[in-house]
Amino acid sequence: MHPKALAHAAAATGLDAVVVCDHNSAENAGALIRAGMREGLAVVAGMEITSAEEVHVVALFPDIDAALRLQRRLYAVLPGENDDEACGMQVVVDEEGEVLAFNRHRLIGATTWDVDRVVSEIRSERGLAVAAHVDREGFGIVGQLGMIPDGLALDAIEVSVRTDLPSARMSFGSGRVILCSSDAHRIDDVGRARTFFLLREISFDEIALALSAAQGRCVLGGGRPMEDLSTHLLDIARNSLEAGATRIDVEVNEDPTSDRLVLEIRDNGRGMDAATAARASDPFFTTRKTRKVGLGLSLLEAAAKAADGSLDLESAPGVGTRVRATFRRNHVDRAPLGDLETTVLVLLADGSDTRIVFGHCVGERRYEVDSHAVVDALGGEAIASPEGIALVREAVRAGEASLRPPSGSPGVDSQTAGR
Amino acid sequence: MTLDEAAKTLECSVLAGSAEDLRREVRGGYVSDLLSDVMGNADDGCLWVTLQKHDNVVAVAHLKDLAAVVLVGGRRPEPQTLERASAEHVVILGTALSAWEAVGRLHRLGVCGRGNPRGT
Repeated sequence: MHPKALAHAAAATGLDAVVVCDHNSAENAGALIRAGMREGLAVVAGMEITSAEEVHVVALFPDIDAALRLQRRLYAVLPGENDDEACGMQVVVDEEGEVLAFNRHRLIGATTWDVDRVVSEIRSERGLAVAAHVDREGFGIVGQLGMIPDGLALDAIEVSVRTDLPSARMSFGSGRVILCSSDAHRIDDVGRARTFFLLREISFDEIALALSAAQGRCVLGGGRPMEDLSTHLLDIARNSLEAGATRIDVEVNEDPTSDRLVLEIRDNGRGMDAATAARASDPFFTTRKTRKVGLGLSLLEAAAKAADGSLDLESAPGVGTRVRATFRRNHVDRAPLGDLETTVLVLLADGSDTRIVFGHCVGERRYEVDSHAVVDALGGEAIASPEGIALVREAVRAGEASLRPPSGSPGVDSQTAGR
Repeated sequence: MTLDEAAKTLECSVLAGSAEDLRREVRGGYVSDLLSDVMGNADDGCLWVTLQKHDNVVAVAHLKDLAAVVLVGGRRPEPQTLERASAEHVVILGTALSAWEAVGRLHRLGVCGRGNPRGT
């Protein structure tokens, strides 16, 4: 991938930071770091290392020098030469995409380091070790080794775009730090999954603190912008924040009886006039100055239409905006909700001066999280603090659990019912 | 066939396992280097032929109550892996043979895989 195009695509999709991870090499990391600077995109030098057991481990390094030091040791245990014919040429490029050299190592191969050694090599450079795409059978640690070995000093595990966060928590345990990433191998994949962090600033050190939930930093959650409705909700509610709203209501209403799912976001922000509102779901229209396209509403509209539903938008200048998307709940093409916990956490952490009320209703059951109630309970502490995040997380988890029918009851609520 | 006989057939050294452990009967065989696949598909009492030598091999063999692990291609696990195996009575045999050659010899002597009419 061309470094400039990659950095541009990442910034345009709204990412603040990416980790560049070639297989068993960091030779192109410098070019992307420099290309990222021009786009205002933070780039962390990384590497996707293949262990002797063919487990992929993603390394994040504090700086490019650490990455290159590890690379030197790694090349010594990476047998073979690349076959240009079969695997394509492995180019080393500068930020303009000019070819500087060809990498002769067989980067597609496995090192002779076992997975424990890979992790200890990463840690010796003060790096972070993340078990890559644990939801994949091939090259994922669970697929290759049956389970995550006890005592392996991983900083996090990563799930790919195949898995949403709630399923990942169920499969891999909520005790682990789970990162959602695109594992992008092509430009189009960039940003298809993302992780939300609570950080002071964007840097490797801050990410390291967040992975160990230290000094108030943490991982808030993750989502898949093309797949998860929860991520659409987040995008649109963030628009409400940008529109200067002092109150935002986000409501998810599932009605199994009528087989409807309704998502609604209401705000009292500055609103839009009729002409602007009419164009709001046009993907090439955005009031944003920082990127050219505003996909939020158009993606949500496409998702609604795919599930026999629709999107409507009402807005008035000085009054506010209401976005409402409806879906047939059990439609085969209805996108999954994804992780609402992430949506609520990111919104409440972002919108410190705004009253945000999130409600989720399934049939007769409903819970809500009101940022004012959270602020009151915190007694002056900000929501974007360890106490605040823990409180909101607990409220959403308890709320979501209260919506589930008691186990063992017939699956009228399940997504497959009525198909 | 007992594990003892299988070990002789494959020119194995016994890396972990007591004389008592080696009297166990072999009820079939399975070859895979994906441990998740072994957990899903290998039957208890099987010989498991693999080149993986990670600690988790012991855990999977124990969990599935496999007869033994046959490490091919001359691979040797770390000493602490072997200690763990001995403690759990997981037999580990090491052979210089390739997986193909090892399985061929066993199959010829009637050790079959799951779903084979000759197997149990």
